[in-house]
Amino acid sequence: MTINIIDIGLGNIRSIEHWLEQSNLSSRRVTSPSSFPEGAIVIPGVSSVGEYMRRLKKSGLDKEILERADKGQKIIGICLGFQILTNYSEEDSGVACLGLLDGCAKYIDGNKTHNGWESCEIDSRNASGYANLPKKNKKIVRGRVYFNHELSVTLDSQCYSKTLDNGIVSFAFRDNIFGFQFHPEKSQQTGREILKLVV
Amino acid sequence: MSFRIGATVLIDHTGNAIQSYSFKTRRILGCISKVLKFLDGYKVDEIHLIVPLKQNRPADMSEIFLKLADIPVSTPLALGGGINVTNLAQISKDPFFERLIFNSAIYDDLDTVQRANLIMGRQSILACIPFSVRNGELIIYHAREDCFKEVPRGFWEKLDSMVNEVILVDAYSEGSKTGFDFEVLKFINFPHDRILISGGLTKNDIYRARNMGLAGVSIDNFALHSELSIGFLR
Repeated sequence: MTINIIDIGLGNIRSIEHWLEQSNLSSRRVTSPSSFPEGAIVIPGVSSVGEYMRRLKKSGLDKEILERADKGQKIIGICLGFQILTNYSEEDSGVACLGLLDGCAKYIDGNKTHNGWESCEIDSRNASGYANLPKKNKKIVRGRVYFNHELSVTLDSQCYSKTLDNGIVSFAFRDNIFGFQFHPEKSQQTGREILKLVV
Repeated sequence: MSFRIGATVLIDHTGNAIQSYSFKTRRILGCISKVLKFLDGYKVDEIHLIVPLKQNRPADMSEIFLKLADIPVSTPLALGGGINVTNLAQISKDPFFERLIFNSAIYDDLDTVQRANLIMGRQSILACIPFSVRNGELIIYHAREDCFKEVPRGFWEKLDSMVNEVILVDAYSEGSKTGFDFEVLKFINFPHDRILISGGLTKNDIYRARNMGLAGVSIDNFALHSELSIGFLR
């Protein structure tokens, strides 16, 4: 299976490629809406929403992602990529986003950032009924995951999700849409196990 | 939020990892790819990769950055060293790192720091400030000018709005285990939970930093050589 990585000149794409390679998954960079395979689409993080959405629209990939999500293609958003799956982000004076998950991204209380490692548990058995996860022998991933962000997602729709003690939504899955506020590609062994669980 | 235990790795112009001692002498630690793989294996919380600007080096570091980009590392990376408005676009075009580290730009090239904020988000911006406390006064290092200077008025307030976190490097103790000079914190008007410390760290210093509510520490070659066990410290 080939995983598509959105490449509009922003985001830590090389880190995503390494993450996929380490799990023996091939990937290709997608720079335009012209035909690309039906494998999962990864929207990387490490950018700001204003610039990211501007380039996404300019490339026409915003509409392409929506169409493909509608057809059931798996969409994986990481950090900023998760935030733009919602309807709106407060960053850069307010930016309309893709609206694949009902909710929005707001600045963390006190204008703080959230950097560091937190515990995470994803149980694919609990996700069934919410999201389309492949059937695998390994059902649960537990470990430490790496966060680095200053906005946090608030969800208005029912998802399989987990919220940290500080109120930050760690991840949210619904149907074929998968959002991670943390960076699985930089979460060492736990990140590789999450990839195997989801793809 | 967990206290982070990271590692600092300096890179020379040939792409080797080096260790600096008290900002005076340097020793080659080996091939950068091997060093990064070791640190990845040790599960450090983050790696701070810095190209020391004062060293003679080619103007274009892109070749070395390309080499770094090909090293599969699943630990968060922060990259610093001579980042300016000219090379920022190139560096951030295809990043293999999550954060950028600035030194000279925070003194005299704010456009670059603001541009980096726009491209990568404020959470991705770090300042690295080597310091020394001499005769009860704080002096901080300006890499491009290769000298220690007095702290400009309003410096910490300005820094607070521009960068997410600060790495304070005890220049005198760099490369040793002689102890980090915590006196520096008396001079600094910056939130403690956004400060990482580096240089001279002992186990007790690391425990003290954790108890003080600092964001974390960045250990130099003692992490690489397993003299300080990451798992034990965590």
